[in-house]
Amino acid sequence: MRCSYCEWRCELGGYKFGVCRMYQEQEGKVVERFPRMWSSYGASRIESVPLYHVYPGSRSFVIGTSGCNFNCKYCSNAFIAKEDPAQVQGRMEELSPSELVKTARKLGCHNIVFNVNEPTVSLPTLIEVAQEANQAGMPMGCLTNAYTTEEATETLASIFSFFNIGLKGLSREFNRACIGIPSIEPVLRNIRKLAATRHVEVITPVIQGVNDDELDEIADLVAHIDREIPWHVFRLLPEHQMKEARYPNIDAVNARLESARKQLSYIYFHNFVGSDWVNTVCPDCGTTVIERFSLGCGGDMLREVRCRDGRCQNCHREIRLLTERGERNVAEEVSA
Amino acid sequence: MSSPGFEPFRSSLAIVDAREWQNVFDLRTGTKVEVDGPCVRMVRGVLERHPFPGDMDEKSNRWVTEVALDFIGEYDPQFIWLTYAQQYYNHRYTPMSEDERAGMVAAACQEVEHFIAASGFTPLIVGSGDMLPFVGFIDVTKFDGLAMSTHWSARYAGLHDPSSDDFKRLREMPEIERIVSKGEWLRLFPESPGDPARVPEFLMVAGPGHAFKTAGGAHRPLNRIPVSSFRIPVSTHVGHAEEITDIRGIVDLSLKERKTALILLEGVGGSEFPWPHTEAANGREWFFYEPGDAQHLTISTGEHRVFDYPTGYKYLDEVMDKKEYPLSGYFTSIPTNSIGNGFSGRSVAVGNRSMYTHMVPGADISLECFARNLYNQGTMAVIHRQEKE
Repeated sequence: MRCSYCEWRCELGGYKFGVCRMYQEQEGKVVERFPRMWSSYGASRIESVPLYHVYPGSRSFVIGTSGCNFNCKYCSNAFIAKEDPAQVQGRMEELSPSELVKTARKLGCHNIVFNVNEPTVSLPTLIEVAQEANQAGMPMGCLTNAYTTEEATETLASIFSFFNIGLKGLSREFNRACIGIPSIEPVLRNIRKLAATRHVEVITPVIQGVNDDELDEIADLVAHIDREIPWHVFRLLPEHQMKEARYPNIDAVNARLESARKQLSYIYFHNFVGSDWVNTVCPDCGTTVIERFSLGCGGDMLREVRCRDGRCQNCHREIRLLTERGERNVAEEVSA
Repeated sequence: MSSPGFEPFRSSLAIVDAREWQNVFDLRTGTKVEVDGPCVRMVRGVLERHPFPGDMDEKSNRWVTEVALDFIGEYDPQFIWLTYAQQYYNHRYTPMSEDERAGMVAAACQEVEHFIAASGFTPLIVGSGDMLPFVGFIDVTKFDGLAMSTHWSARYAGLHDPSSDDFKRLREMPEIERIVSKGEWLRLFPESPGDPARVPEFLMVAGPGHAFKTAGGAHRPLNRIPVSSFRIPVSTHVGHAEEITDIRGIVDLSLKERKTALILLEGVGGSEFPWPHTEAANGREWFFYEPGDAQHLTISTGEHRVFDYPTGYKYLDEVMDKKEYPLSGYFTSIPTNSIGNGFSGRSVAVGNRSMYTHMVPGADISLECFARNLYNQGTMAVIHRQEKE
């Protein structure tokens, strides 16, 4: 039988476990091979995920399993995402959804974010976690490559209320050579679909000389979906099979973003220490409405939220934020 | 939260080099600053000339030597603190044969000798302790209380708000060597400064080869972890260290007569130390220092510094909110009793250890890798003082 979770639509059965190696056929159903097994879980700032327009300053419980349905040559979590899931189970931790949510609460987390590998490879477990989290009043979000089928995209939307979707490149050549997929079309379809009903941010790891020539086109495409979608341009740290690649030049990539900044309301360029492009600036009047500090690589932090009721304090333009007053932590109190 | 014995520097500068892109920050506030001057220009040049190859890269220790020699040419320090850690990271996370492992230790030692020969500095070399094969985790993730593992510690984890059931579980875990109450731990080091409020209610101590699995623990596969290093090797011909706290005094004495290098070789203990040495006590009774900030602080200050950031403490409450020293990890202030702070001559620190290198030695100028969880973000130099003749 065929798996219907992602667009690979892999044939399962016997020793066929799909591209992600996380599912198997059992009595005519697609089931997880390693349900409720976690590679990591712990507290982190939501800005470090990165998610910039969701519960600013909140403490997130970040979780991950194993496996992935992409084959990105620059994967930064290859030691868990690219390894054969069967081989890494010895260092995984089994936790029931209730134990997981209980741990999140013990650590004082406000929300749960799946961000180590691809959530699509562990959907049944995540459905269970979502039920527990919902009872505990904890919103859930994820980083995803959104290479899901339409049916699974609906499932993602039922689990998660906010997303950061990786849009890694547009050309067929890039996606074949660097990501290992035949086409980006399903991802674009799902960005459109999810952005219609859920909070969506988009992230593009930029590799100089490989996909930086597509930045304008990507910005244009995202803008046509919704120009208020926050876009993270992520300076790639060469890892995995691209370990020897040159670090992208910050000034050169930033120069390429100049025209894109006219297309989208919120463009961020980061993943390096001290980035100048991590603050949220009111698209109308240019006032800084959210100030952040970037430590690169999973270290971004909130400095100050200066907007009030989701609006610029200067011109009162609405700033896209998934948050409610009273739901946030002390650190993100609105300044007077 | 501030700690006794600490007071903030007001004007330390951090220069971050993210490869072909440098910025200067006020170290305490993290605010970008526009500054210039001979010292800043000199440090910028050193940063530019030495991109960091990566914590586990085979050229990582060579990078330490080359940066140090560059500073000796540019700044002419009388004291230099060096940390070589490439072998420590690799032993933790890279599977390798015994021959490969021994070869890596030998290469690290050769790198030290290369520095000594090229610099002419009088060395005092300290090995931070042997490592042994990782046997297995002690799973404390399902406790009712909160178990916290910090500082990449294997032997220790803090236990906060435990239930009676947790103690019952602990008694059924033979891999746990002992459980120490906060009071008992504080009484073991009554002279150690720090904030008692940070000390966990209980400290769990693992037996040899075991490490604690807690929420938020690193998910990279472990290969080797620090062994029970109750004594660590110290090689010097300018004094004798009975205890780890004696090292500072020896360096102080040496500096009165000669240029001196204090060299820390991470993850290397007496069994593989190639130089003539004595062994210094690396702690007290059941407690020994693992490679990390407490051990470095103790060497730098000459006093036990167990409780500045005690292993197993609840760091989340401090690092999550706005904090000073945002470029310095969990450090909330700079140690004033450090070796560099007490030395009137010029001093430099270089290391492939993030955070410690600029916070612990207190050198006038330091340069370190800016890596987090082994991800290479570039390098950072810190200038604490730039007015020394």
